[in-house]
Amino acid sequence: MKVSVVTRSGKELLKGGIDLNDSATVADLQEAIHKKTKKFYPSRQRLTLPVQPGSKAKPTVLNSKKSLKEYSDGNSNTITVVFKDLGTQVSYRTLFFFEYLGPLVIYPIFHYLPVYRYFGYKEERVMHPVQTYACYYWCFHYFKRIMETFFVHRFSHATSPLSNVFRNCMYYWSFGAFIAYYVNHPLYTPVSDLQWKIGFGFGLLCQLSNFYCHILLKNLRSPDGNGGYQIPRGFLFNIVTCANYTTEIYQWVGFNIATQTVAGYIFAVVAAGIMTNWALAKHRRLKKLFDGKDGKPKYPRRWVILPPFL
Amino acid sequence: MAGFLSLLRRVYLSLYNWTVCFGWMQVLYFAVKTLKESSYENVYDGVEKPLLLAQTAAVLEIFHGLIGLVRSPVTATLPQIGSRLYVTWGVLYSFPETRTHFLVSSLVISWAITEIIRYSFFGVKEVFGSAPSWLQWLRYSTFLMLYPTGITSEVGLIYIALAYIMSSEKYCLRMPNKLNFSFDYYYGALAILGIYVPGSPHMYSYMLGQRKKVLSRSKKD
Repeated sequence: MKVSVVTRSGKELLKGGIDLNDSATVADLQEAIHKKTKKFYPSRQRLTLPVQPGSKAKPTVLNSKKSLKEYSDGNSNTITVVFKDLGTQVSYRTLFFFEYLGPLVIYPIFHYLPVYRYFGYKEERVMHPVQTYACYYWCFHYFKRIMETFFVHRFSHATSPLSNVFRNCMYYWSFGAFIAYYVNHPLYTPVSDLQWKIGFGFGLLCQLSNFYCHILLKNLRSPDGNGGYQIPRGFLFNIVTCANYTTEIYQWVGFNIATQTVAGYIFAVVAAGIMTNWALAKHRRLKKLFDGKDGKPKYPRRWVILPPFL
Repeated sequence: MAGFLSLLRRVYLSLYNWTVCFGWMQVLYFAVKTLKESSYENVYDGVEKPLLLAQTAAVLEIFHGLIGLVRSPVTATLPQIGSRLYVTWGVLYSFPETRTHFLVSSLVISWAITEIIRYSFFGVKEVFGSAPSWLQWLRYSTFLMLYPTGITSEVGLIYIALAYIMSSEKYCLRMPNKLNFSFDYYYGALAILGIYVPGSPHMYSYMLGQRKKVLSRSKKD
């Protein structure tokens, strides 16, 4: 089979195209492109079928596991695919590690080092116990996330563009500094003893539940990362589709009940918004996939992310 | 029912556009009158009432976009109207020391001419269904000149206000407080000046694109 690879502007990426045998898969084609171009390894490539000029339809993305034949109308022995360079790719593990490393390092700097001198506060700072516990709580949270990244989560083979690393680090690192600045401030006003104890207690309970949720999610995926979608079950998943996000959001609520800063609440609201979008998409996908037809199980009635609201 | 609603929409938008247009006409009239009869130092006092009213009425435009009453995207209207509201209320209204500067004259005249053309363009469109081509040309051409003068005046006035913002401590929230939050209006103003740096060329090129799109389409017809 003869494959002609063109860029989105219509130019030929590889002069003369590529010859592959008839049983070749899309993955084989990607390997061949990598071999010839040297630069574009498979996860950097996005291959689509050409669309009619002027048509607004979304182009079909080629699935690397499928055979090229399936995309070539069966009869013809030639196929044209459109190539897009997705840019440098990194694994999700790398992305997560750098995201979480920032807050883990930045927060203690505000707690232990005399940084407030540079903000114009010369006097010696007296730490309230809630500020010290907040620092432990915060560090435990991000330490847990990094450990989970390396020892719990099972990632698919999907990668993320390098630019996302910068974007996500900006988000996590700046919010980390923003919250750390106010919680460790020399003029910080603590809440009552009872309130911060309830806050941290509730938050810690949510963190532990969150850890258990991640273990359950890991067991849904097969070790090779090709599992496909499953109905999440067990523990809180019997009530909520994305119990992992639920517990994550509620543990931030616990932290904020204890520390009470506007910065912390802003972060919680933004994070909840982002996770709600993901949760809605996942819920929709699962409901569509498990529609109860053709012997497939029917997706049970559940909350999406924030019981008792959503 | 649908016909009635669309009629209601047209009546409302016509009234809205012509009312605000009239407000900006007043701003222009009083600005020119003050300049002729006294001096640029009194321009703000001459136009204050219609300026505050007409500029604040623009908030409804964001709202119109949000509920789908008009087609203009919120991402285009919000930064434009937001920056104008900031200069009107957050600078001129809040810091009277800035009002006597000559940039106030160039500011209100640039704004007023732009807005009179814009609102009358939309007003004519709502009433008659289409606007004459000369009005459309004006709508998509005067910004070439009035955007730079308007933006320069806005940035200049914010810059002038910085010293008064810093010394007055108005709108500042200091620690300690129960919310554990602080806000410094001075740094807020610096941040807004920072947004102007990429924001102005972005809006200008957005309008250039609109101009190209609209004027080339009307040529074809």
